[in-house]
Parts: sequence; C-alpha cells; structure tokens
Amino acid sequence: MKRKKVLKIVAILGVAGILIAGGIGLYMFNMPHRDVQSADADYTLTASEIVSEYFTDNEAANKKYLAADGDSKILEITGVVSKISEDFSGQKVVLLKGEQVKAGVSATFTSETNSSLDNVQIDQKITIKGVIRSGASYDDDLEMYEHVIIEKSDIVLK
Amino acid sequence: MNRSIFLSIATFLLMTVAVYGQTSEKLVSSKSNIKFFSTTPAEDIEANNTASVSTINIESGEVVFSVPMQGFEFEKSLMQKHYNSDKFLDTKTHPKAKLKATILNLDQVNFSEDGSYSADVEGELTIKDVTKPIREKGTITVKGNQIALNSIFNITLADFQITFAKGKPSSNIAKKLEITVEAEYEQN
Repeated sequence: MKRKKVLKIVAILGVAGILIAGGIGLYMFNMPHRDVQSADADYTLTASEIVSEYFTDNEAANKKYLAADGDSKILEITGVVSKISEDFSGQKVVLLKGEQVKAGVSATFTSETNSSLDNVQIDQKITIKGVIRSGASYDDDLEMYEHVIIEKSDIVLK
Repeated sequence: MNRSIFLSIATFLLMTVAVYGQTSEKLVSSKSNIKFFSTTPAEDIEANNTASVSTINIESGEVVFSVPMQGFEFEKSLMQKHYNSDKFLDTKTHPKAKLKATILNLDQVNFSEDGSYSADVEGELTIKDVTKPIREKGTITVKGNQIALNSIFNITLADFQITFAKGKPSSNIAKKLEITVEAEYEQN
C-alpha cells in the first residue's frame, strides 16, 4: 500500500517535470524577438560622435557596441537628415550626418515606424533610436565609406 | 623636409584615388536582399539581410558586396542568437562578410542597352575571416537607368570552418546553404 503511494508521487513528479521542461523548451523555441523600441537606449550620442569613434578604433567600437548573440546595443543618435530612401523590402532608410561628411549613420525603419518619417525634411535635425548592426569605415574594395548601420529604428520625440 | 614632401604627395594621390572612386563607371547599390536558406528533414531555416552595400565597376567588371552579418533576420529569435554566437558565425568578432569578384564575360554585358545578360562571376568570398574562391553565375538586367543583379548559389559551411560538433544545430542546419542575392543599382 505504502509502495503504491510512493510510485504515485514519483509518477506525478515525473509528469510535472516533463511538462515544465517541455514548457521551457517551447518558450525558448518561440521566444519573441527583442522589442527595440520599448527597451531603453544603452547610449545616447550624435552621428558624428559614433562615426569618429569607429574611425578612431574600429575594433574597440565593435567590442563596445556589438553583442555576441546579435542583440547589440540600442542607440539614440542625433544628426542632420541628408537622404531618405527605401531599402529592398520597402522600409524607409534615413541617412544622418554630422559635420563629418565622409560617413554617417544609416537608419532603417520598420513597417510600423515608416510613417514617423512622413513629415521629415532633408537638413532637419532629428533623433532616432534603433539597434546597431555594424560600424563605419572606409572600404578599399568598395572604394567608399560605409555608414554605421542601425535597424528597427523610430524617431525619438524630444 | 623630404618626409613632408612625400607626405603631401601621398595625400594628393590618396585624394585623387578617392575622387576617382566616385566617378560614374561605378554602380552603387544600397537596395539589396541576401537570403540564405537551409533545408533538412527537421526544419527549413531562412534568413534575410537588406543592409548590404554593393558596387559594380562597369569598366573593370569588379563586383563587391559588403554584408553586415548581424543584419540577418530569422523568424525565430533563438535561431538568430545561435547564428550570431561564437559557436556559429561569431558576428561580434567578424561583423562583415565580403564578396569580391570579377565578371569574366564583361564584353557580353551591355550596361547601356536594355536586356538580360548572363554573367560568369569569379572571385573570393570571405566569411568569418576565411577566404574561399568562388565561381558562380548571375543575371544582370538593364532597364534604362536601373540595373539589377540576381544570383543563386550554394556554399558549404565547412569551407568557412563553420561546423557543429553536436547538439540541435548539427542536425537541423544543412551542410550546404542556398544563397539568393538580389540587388538594384543606380548610376552614381
């Protein structure tokens, strides 16, 4: 009689364990992407500040801003709009530049945030928030300066 | 004295090169999609990247793609974390991949006449600091001022020392990936 009771408890614990492990597994597998816009910015800076930081020491800047799991730093960047275009999937891309004219910050918006750029004009000073994907540098093969790339952007109202 | 003369000549040469690089023989694309697709019995995995920059030099036939590796987006967040991690692409240490190649049959591609041209492209692909020779086919489509490049090719992960000893990724990710490249260029 006692043995039966123990077996029952073991069985219940076992089933509960499997359910919890399965639940965690399912949660991990379906874990949503980080919501960049609802998270706080890790750094607030100007377009020329981040560009010159990358020009000064590319490796150190990558260490500071890029994360190993791809959820890199969320940045709030202020600069002057020098170009507004669209990427291949139809998202708006705004190029912010500071006094440093060689490279800037290229910020891609999302289907939810594209409309934030509707009334933005060239030469207007704006602040955007987004996640950094890569830094600025001169590329010998492209023979061009590459911009800092920011994605999942939206405008920050000040 | 000699040194300052040398420096000013070097500066002048660099500036000339920089200005030369801006001339119109170079097509620039910031409108592109690079997709990779992996299929195994366990699951299909797809990721897209629209943040690359590419150039085609229509005089020399040189094609360059610079790909920010953290720009690949996956449906599942966990896959994206695996992909970026130091066990897989290590994108923190190697944030960019590069394709540098030449169009071999440049004489058969007329960038100023509307049409669709098959291009044989040969060069080098660098991923995670490992450079491998590649030779692939692509299509260049000319329509007025708009020039597009399309190509589909396979890469073998082991060639770039991307391997999984064990665990889920080793059974769920194909050893060969299909890469689809689409880019639209504008005359600079």
